[in-house]
Amino acid sequence: MTSAADFVQPPRIATWLVNLFTSSDEESISGDLQEEFSQLEKKSGLAFARRWYWRQTLKTIAHLFGGAFRAAPWSTTATVVGGFLLLQFASRLPDKALSVVTDRYLAYWSNHFSAYMFWATDGMLIAHLIVSMFVGCVVAFAAKGREMVATITLDLVLSAMMGVTYFGWVAEHWPIHMALLWMLLQCSGSFAIVLGGAIVRTRRATAKPRPSCV
Amino acid sequence: MSGRDFLGEFEHIIVLAILRLEDRAYGVTVRQEIEFRTKREVSIGAVYATLDRLESKGYVKSHRGDPTPERGGRSKRFFRVTAKGAAAVNRTQRALQSMTEGLDLIQSHS
Repeated sequence: MTSAADFVQPPRIATWLVNLFTSSDEESISGDLQEEFSQLEKKSGLAFARRWYWRQTLKTIAHLFGGAFRAAPWSTTATVVGGFLLLQFASRLPDKALSVVTDRYLAYWSNHFSAYMFWATDGMLIAHLIVSMFVGCVVAFAAKGREMVATITLDLVLSAMMGVTYFGWVAEHWPIHMALLWMLLQCSGSFAIVLGGAIVRTRRATAKPRPSCV
Repeated sequence: MSGRDFLGEFEHIIVLAILRLEDRAYGVTVRQEIEFRTKREVSIGAVYATLDRLESKGYVKSHRGDPTPERGGRSKRFFRVTAKGAAAVNRTQRALQSMTEGLDLIQSHS
């Protein structure tokens, strides 16, 4: 009897990306892609089939993203606005926490200046990433079934604002190395939001396994 | 009759593909049929986005087949055109014929 293990598997990352945008009810999309990949692999070779699979994956994700947004534009927008406000509130917390700790243990920090510098720089960066990922998780949790659409939309809004801020102010007034560092910090925050969405989506997909015949 | 009773260009193509494929119409065959006949590369995402829209309008109906190993254990989703869909494709076809009647399209664009 032929099993799924007898067939050449398509690129895992591409399959994972498609699954992030499809629910278990839409498993036929992944199945169709895999079936055509197997046909192409036999007919035109593995390299050609892989290129085709990646091209189809990217186009399919774009259509699924647009379709999911059009299917529920208001609830997605509400989730994104909620996520934006939450991020504005939560992103101030690490700085506030550091200020409180610095004030309370001023004598300690005076004697351990390098430790203070670590928390003020690397520590803050890590805290901002954790906060961004947390916001991504909350947004994805609220946007059940459209986790990636909501987190990516929030990300696009933040990226647009970041672009305006960068070219309107940061690039003009800050030295180039500081401006690039600021840009890197913002980009890593955006990445963490989408990562949060992907984690929630993957957890939900794992909790509701796709049916299998093997 | 409202404007919504006509099919869009890609909707029209997809319904015609399903009609041609009869009981073999699912994502892969629909996509390949369109690519073969129109010489235009379409993504499976575009096909499903349109099929879902057609299903929500009541122009097509779908049912699941059995999962198969070459599909990684995932089932096929077969489509068929409803009576409402067949009426919509006829109406669209007639409207297009009426609009192109008397026009020598090949000559006028050469």
